[in-house]
Amino acid sequence: MIPLVIIVVLAEVAVRREWVASYLVPAPSKIIATLVSSRDGPELFYATGQTALAALTGFAASAVIGLAVAIALSSARWVQRAFYPYAVFFQTVPIIAIAPLLVIWIGYGMPTVIASALIVSVFPVIANTLSGLLATEPALVDLFRLYGASRSAAMLKLRLPFALPSIFTGLRVAGGLAVIGAIAGEFITGGGLGGVIDISKTQQRTDKIFAGLILAALLGIALFAIVNLASWLMLRNWHASERT
Amino acid sequence: MKLLLSLVVLCSFSAACDKKDAPAPVKKLTLQLNWKPEPQFGGFYAARESGAFAQNGLDVEVVAGGVGTPTVQMVAAGKAEFGIVSADELLISRGNGADVVALFAVYQTCPQALMTHASRGFKEIGDLFRNPGTVAMQKGLPYASYLDKKLGFERVRVVPSPGGDLGVFRKEKEYAMQCFVTSEPIAAKKLGLDAQTFLIAEAGYNPYTTVLVTRGDYLRANPDTVKSVVNGVRDGWTSYLNNPIATNQMMQKLNPTMDMQTFADSAAAQKDLIQTEETKKYGLGTMRAERWETLGKQLVDLKVVEKAPPASECFADLLKK
Repeated sequence: MIPLVIIVVLAEVAVRREWVASYLVPAPSKIIATLVSSRDGPELFYATGQTALAALTGFAASAVIGLAVAIALSSARWVQRAFYPYAVFFQTVPIIAIAPLLVIWIGYGMPTVIASALIVSVFPVIANTLSGLLATEPALVDLFRLYGASRSAAMLKLRLPFALPSIFTGLRVAGGLAVIGAIAGEFITGGGLGGVIDISKTQQRTDKIFAGLILAALLGIALFAIVNLASWLMLRNWHASERT
Repeated sequence: MKLLLSLVVLCSFSAACDKKDAPAPVKKLTLQLNWKPEPQFGGFYAARESGAFAQNGLDVEVVAGGVGTPTVQMVAAGKAEFGIVSADELLISRGNGADVVALFAVYQTCPQALMTHASRGFKEIGDLFRNPGTVAMQKGLPYASYLDKKLGFERVRVVPSPGGDLGVFRKEKEYAMQCFVTSEPIAAKKLGLDAQTFLIAEAGYNPYTTVLVTRGDYLRANPDTVKSVVNGVRDGWTSYLNNPIATNQMMQKLNPTMDMQTFADSAAAQKDLIQTEETKKYGLGTMRAERWETLGKQLVDLKVVEKAPPASECFADLLKK
């Protein structure tokens, strides 16, 4: 908390003393005034709702698809060798470059924004889940085999639970990325925080841009908190990472 | 001294005389453009190439711009003596305390337009907003707010402008996008698309565009220099409108992504925006106080500026009558 207070106070003083021009960095007090003003506040919060919906949907899709892909990849060494590189593609794709194509493929509106959020956030889920699934204690794998457990039983009762901490690591990263992906999509299709930030940029409203950025950050933090809560609920009874 | 003078005179008549020995003290100035070398700046390059600047002892460097080149700020901050802005930009900046003054308005009719498919059979700009469809434009720009207020966006979906990307335009029929009549429609034609354009000016919003500006205190301190530049610019535009080929070739070297045919088409498309009834009467680049006042009122109406500066502060009429 203390570093935040120092930065905010410094920014405020710097702008008031005109060390930096207010159109470059707005005073924190101005940003807060914008957030609560009757002119911009409702627009900003409505936009946050739209972005939240798209980011959450994209994030949920990432979680489901990421898990499924990672389970498929972990099934055999050759599958992994053949298909993992394609998963890496998702990590390297510059979303800003392909977002305009998404609009042509999918059209304007929420589905494009969700797809954009999905594309940027799916890789960390795949990578972390996969490394978790592959790191199962070999002795336990042997034990399951000894008792004649089926592959699906081994997956459900051993590999997946064992991989949970890694999966949650992937989801934590994916949460923040989903917000970024949604906003990048909104730059192209309009609507949401991305749309508001884009328009504010045209109008040289730096205060409103920063207000939008703060709301985006809060959204990222909220997603992070949701993942942490889920992680705590599922791991608190048995895993060291959540037993404090 | 006499010897030197006669030498100078001799020199200026002699073709063999090297440029280095040229007598006149050359004043080095910078003109900052807000986009890449294209026909919309043809007259400025022509003024340089044809020697219209040099005749007046001026050495004006024409500097190309790009996406979001802050020409107003650069001129206001003294980073360039001259810059290219649009009239609404100038009014907004003056409202923010930047002392920039307009000198020469290239486009008497703003080239900003909306482009859609001719197959939709629309007759006027209002049809775009009366029929369901998508309109891509940069919301937040004054012209978009003006259209919103005048025609209403209730029946259409307004999405961000794709820049000059024609991808969606090609694919979707019920789609219109913002454009400059000197640019995107020509690109669309090259792709074999039957595009139809409606000028925003038709709806009543028509700021002078591609306007030469300078800083107020620079103008007051160097009235003669500014006057020479303005008249050089007018000579440049006159020559460019008569014959753009040489200047186009020169600009094409600086902007090789655009081919010569596009340069020629664009130069032809802009002619009617530059030469109007008013310029026939008062000369190229002329500006009228009424139009600055109208624009000021429109911007106040749209709450883009709080108070419009008086027209007399916005522009200086230095053109030779």
